[in-house]
Amino acid sequence: MIDLNATFFAQILNFLILVAILRALAEAEELKKNYQAQLAEAREKAQAIVDKAEKVAASNREASIQDTKREIEQMKKAAQAEIQRDHERAADQLKKEIVALSLLAAGKVVEKNLGASENEALVGDFIDKLDKDKIGDLSC
Amino acid sequence: MHEIGVRETVQFAGFTFNWETLCMTMTWLTMAVVILIAFLATRSLKLVPSGWQMVVELIVNWLHGQIDAMMGKSGRFLAPFIVSLFMFLLVSNWLGLIPTLSSPTNDLNTTLALALIVIVMVHFLGLYKKGMHYIAHFFQPTPVFVVINVIEEIAKPITLSCRLFGNILAGEILIIVLLKLMPIWMPIPAVCWLAFSIFIGGVQAVIFTMLSMAYLANAVKEEEQS
Repeated sequence: MIDLNATFFAQILNFLILVAILRALAEAEELKKNYQAQLAEAREKAQAIVDKAEKVAASNREASIQDTKREIEQMKKAAQAEIQRDHERAADQLKKEIVALSLLAAGKVVEKNLGASENEALVGDFIDKLDKDKIGDLSC
Repeated sequence: MHEIGVRETVQFAGFTFNWETLCMTMTWLTMAVVILIAFLATRSLKLVPSGWQMVVELIVNWLHGQIDAMMGKSGRFLAPFIVSLFMFLLVSNWLGLIPTLSSPTNDLNTTLALALIVIVMVHFLGLYKKGMHYIAHFFQPTPVFVVINVIEEIAKPITLSCRLFGNILAGEILIIVLLKLMPIWMPIPAVCWLAFSIFIGGVQAVIFTMLSMAYLANAVKEEEQS
């Protein structure tokens, strides 16, 4: 029942081999855990970088929208100023034309200078013409 | 069913090996089971353990707690050895309860081999950690005590190995005897004894491991205090 023999040494060897294998397994696991931790860290870092980039892009977009709005505002102002200028120019021209026409009419009145009735008719006709061609808020 | 006490031997390179214990069958089977469990437990580690990972983590955490309590942090490097020892003992004690298989620990060769590994480690670590101070402690409190101390050191591996060997062999013998004594329609005594043997297998694995830790703690821990 009890016979010590070479089995004894074999068992020592067996157990030491088992310890070595389990140790190797545990170390491999440790290595894997470290590796996974590193991977997770790297992923986190990448996520942080992406987040930052997205934030920068958003702020850039906001800034460019503000720029565009400002530009549009400026263009609008310029256009309005130009319209105003054109309007004034047109009014000036009209005034000039009216003056010329008045002079012409006055000349004709003086040239004809026939009867008072004819004079009245002429002036009335002119005034009628003026009323017909009257433009906007033009003061004449 | 194998015959009790008669061991099939095999000659190899001028040495005699107990074929059945040795492994080629039983010890290697035990090792394979332990490695398989370790592999299954570590294959896909999760933060919330389940399945094999939970079982092994429970055992390892418990043993780590024991190591910390007995040896302090300086004993942590022994954890792989202690965990391997416990797993090996547990699996091998229970292996013999499966019909047609036998425990590697029902052979004194195995238990003595394990005990001697532990004792050699104790003395080696003691010498390595404490040097001459370790040798001096055999002569305390007076030089006369060297006789008692040496006897104690010799007794350690013998008691360690014989306790485990006797318990496991007795358990297996009684299972076979009960099965032969009782008719097949009355399996209750055998089943009871089987349940008790499962308990004994666990207890003996714990005892062997705890005593090994206590011996190792003597060699490792005292160094902390001095």
